[in-house]
Amino acid sequence: MKRILLAEDEEILRMLIIDTLEEEDYQVIEAGDGQEALDLLMVEKYDLIVLDYMMPAYSGLEVIVKIRQEGINKDVPIMMLSAKSQLSEQEKAIAAGADYFMAKPFSPLELLGKVRDILNEKNTIQ
Amino acid sequence: MKKIQFNKNSIVRRYIFLMGVFIGAFLLLAGILLYSFYELNEEYTSKNSQLEDKERLVQRMEEAFIKAFMDVRGYFAYNTESLKKKALEQDPVIMDYMNQLSAMEESYKDQAFLEQVEDFRKYYFIETLPVTLEEYENGNIEAVRATANGGATKKIEAIMADIDEYNDAINDQIDANFIELKKIQSYVQIAFVVFVLVFLIVLLRITRLMFSEIAKPLAGFAAAANEIAYGRDAVIEVDKDRNDELGVLSVAFNRMIEGIQENEQNLLAQNEELVAQQDELHAQQLELQEALEFVKNNEQKLSSRNELINKLANSLDKQEVLESAVLNMCPIIGAEKGIIAFIDEPSYASYGISPGGVKQFRGNLLFSGVIDRLQVERKPFAMKRQCAEDEKGYHSEYLFSYDLYIPIFLSGKKLIAIMAFTRYDSPFDGRLMEEYEALAKNVGIAMDKINLYQKSEEARRLNQDILDTIQEGVQLVSGDGEILLVNKKFCELFGCPEKLHDMDGCSWDEWTALLEGTIEEAGDFIDFLKSEVASQEKYPANERQFTYRNKAGKVFKVYCEGLFDGNTKLGTIFVHRNITKEFEVDRIKSEFVSTVSHELRTPLASILGFTELILTRELKPERQKKYLSTIHNEAGRLTALINDFLDIQRMESGKQGYEKIQVEMLPVINKVIELQKVQSDRHELTLKFLGGSDVVIGDAGKLEQALTNLVHNAIKYSPEGGKVSVIVFEKDGMVRMEIQDEGLGIPPEAIDKLFEKFYRVDNSDRRSIGGTGLGLAIVKEIIHDHGGEISVKSQFGKGSTFTISLPVSDSQTDFG
Repeated sequence: MKRILLAEDEEILRMLIIDTLEEEDYQVIEAGDGQEALDLLMVEKYDLIVLDYMMPAYSGLEVIVKIRQEGINKDVPIMMLSAKSQLSEQEKAIAAGADYFMAKPFSPLELLGKVRDILNEKNTIQ
Repeated sequence: MKKIQFNKNSIVRRYIFLMGVFIGAFLLLAGILLYSFYELNEEYTSKNSQLEDKERLVQRMEEAFIKAFMDVRGYFAYNTESLKKKALEQDPVIMDYMNQLSAMEESYKDQAFLEQVEDFRKYYFIETLPVTLEEYENGNIEAVRATANGGATKKIEAIMADIDEYNDAINDQIDANFIELKKIQSYVQIAFVVFVLVFLIVLLRITRLMFSEIAKPLAGFAAAANEIAYGRDAVIEVDKDRNDELGVLSVAFNRMIEGIQENEQNLLAQNEELVAQQDELHAQQLELQEALEFVKNNEQKLSSRNELINKLANSLDKQEVLESAVLNMCPIIGAEKGIIAFIDEPSYASYGISPGGVKQFRGNLLFSGVIDRLQVERKPFAMKRQCAEDEKGYHSEYLFSYDLYIPIFLSGKKLIAIMAFTRYDSPFDGRLMEEYEALAKNVGIAMDKINLYQKSEEARRLNQDILDTIQEGVQLVSGDGEILLVNKKFCELFGCPEKLHDMDGCSWDEWTALLEGTIEEAGDFIDFLKSEVASQEKYPANERQFTYRNKAGKVFKVYCEGLFDGNTKLGTIFVHRNITKEFEVDRIKSEFVSTVSHELRTPLASILGFTELILTRELKPERQKKYLSTIHNEAGRLTALINDFLDIQRMESGKQGYEKIQVEMLPVINKVIELQKVQSDRHELTLKFLGGSDVVIGDAGKLEQALTNLVHNAIKYSPEGGKVSVIVFEKDGMVRMEIQDEGLGIPPEAIDKLFEKFYRVDNSDRRSIGGTGLGLAIVKEIIHDHGGEISVKSQFGKGSTFTISLPVSDSQTDFG
């Protein structure tokens, strides 16, 4: 079973994403803020990280920087979910090390499809 | 031979040789004398020491004999055995002394003495004493007496006398030695004195030789030098055959004298020639002095003329020019007094004239016909007149004065002023009139220039005033970066209002350094200015502007345009416009868009997402219900957000309607608290009423909305929970409501902006706390619309207190 770390401060959105992904037999571990996400990353490895942009403690951007620069699960693919959908925000996220960017509001089925593609692609590569 | 030659050629070496021989001889002989004296003393001491040793031995020997005699007698008298023993013990002692004395024997006397003593010793200790002792011990006292009387006593006395005699002989020998020593010492002392005398004589001879050989010729040199110094003849008389230093010196000295005498002759000849030249020069000097006097006079006139021309050319001060004209014209003309006065205005300057005289001149000017004549002739003229009484001073006879009138024309046409000069008893030379006229023309040109300057200055001031009224900072910079013009606003923008006039002519380095000090990240800004100043493009393709921020946080946009005369660039005009407000509005707009985007997109994401799940998946009824409920809540959240936007828009446009009635605040607050309690179980919400009235005039719904916002904020910004208290009391005719929390608090720098629309404190602790930044702005609008005030006190990290004050309702108040 693929393990996905979801960091999102909106509880309702967490519920939406978890319900969507768990239907496909993905194991989703949830974090309410950036710090919690980093704590979880320190102890276990994940196949995919889905990060909200604006979060307490550490923003999604800061979490990506720590993952990529400090070598915590550094090879894991990262998808950024953000209500800030301007091009500049996307560029910032990609520059920091995000692999994918999805703007809010998003289609859960589209998210599911994207996750599926990422993880299958990863499998194929491996 | 060589040594002699060597000594003869040098006085110093001869002197050293003589003194060396003298000192050597002196030391040698003195040493011989002292050594002889020492030897003599040593010999005497040795002899005396030997004699004294002999004397000491003889004395001891005598004492030994006496002791033996006394002990024997004591034994016979007291029969003491120890005395007998002691007496017998003296024999070996005496023999020892005799042996020592025998070793020092020198003469037959010593030998005879030793034989006498030996004879007696044998007689006494060997022959007589043992027998006598035996007789005594046998009790034969008579035999003892017989021995004593039979010659023993006499022999003892005889030996004692011999010993004494021998001792005396030794003493005599010692005395004789001493006398001999003294005698020899006297001879030595005499010899020493003679030695010293001989050497003194030799020294005297040497000194005399030195005096005659050195001192005397040197004295001759000194006397000759003195004579030469006084200009008299002198001859050095030194033996011509002398080859030593004095010989060489005398030859050199004589040559020097010859040289000096020759030079003196030459100098005398030159002196005579110089005296002749001096006479000639004196005559020329007199001529030159006369010429100099003439030149000085001309120089004075030229100086005055230069001073006048200089002042006329350089000064733009009208009064200064007038004063310079009259002061400098007087010496040029040779006048004692003068005045320059305008015809149509009261400006004038005078020299040597009293204020009364000036007034009189100005009063008479119009009626004297002088103006008319000058206007007609357009040339200077002079008049002779008899001096007035006050001009004559102590003179009683007739005196004449000469007045010169010179016209001054503006631009060569209009007569604007008259110069008048007066000279006593010396008429004006008509040939110089043209010169005076030329000077007057220069004064007229200067007046023209001053008029033009005044006009241009007025125009410049007008332009400057216009520039200063513009709200943008304007600067005109030349092609090499020098400031040609700035306005007041420019100086205000860059903090240099007191330097407004100093800025004109400021070099590139000076003014860019000033600007660099006032703005953030000045490098790009200065580069922009530099490129624009250097640019020669008359119609650049791109817009030429730059935005920068100063250190006070204000934002400016600088536009620039080239100032061209035809195709020649005269400079660049920079216009600095304060766009802080627009910039802030843009920033707020951007932030608003970002905030609205975020705040709307989050609930929208939930609504769209759950709707999609419901539509595309087979869901259990309870899950479907849960999703629908979530969609409903999120729709409500969206509605509240939209309402906030609408509220603030209505309030700002003044279209917000209030239904004001008397409202008791306590029930309203209670209701707010009860509703908010549902939101959090980590917070303890309380209401405290401290007395007074709680009734205000207002729209209950809007007041409830304001209080809900504040209580909701108190909960929202206390993420760790804690107490949220609402305290109500009446003070100074106002109902005060304090909403206190123990939450995050507000950073000091954010307090002032807290009630601005869309303002949100940007802090990582608050990232989780959503909001549009409209809540407090709405509260402020509602409270202000109710005639109240809202304020906040906060301690960062420890909580905040928002205080609302609303006027207490009076039942008589008409609140329709």
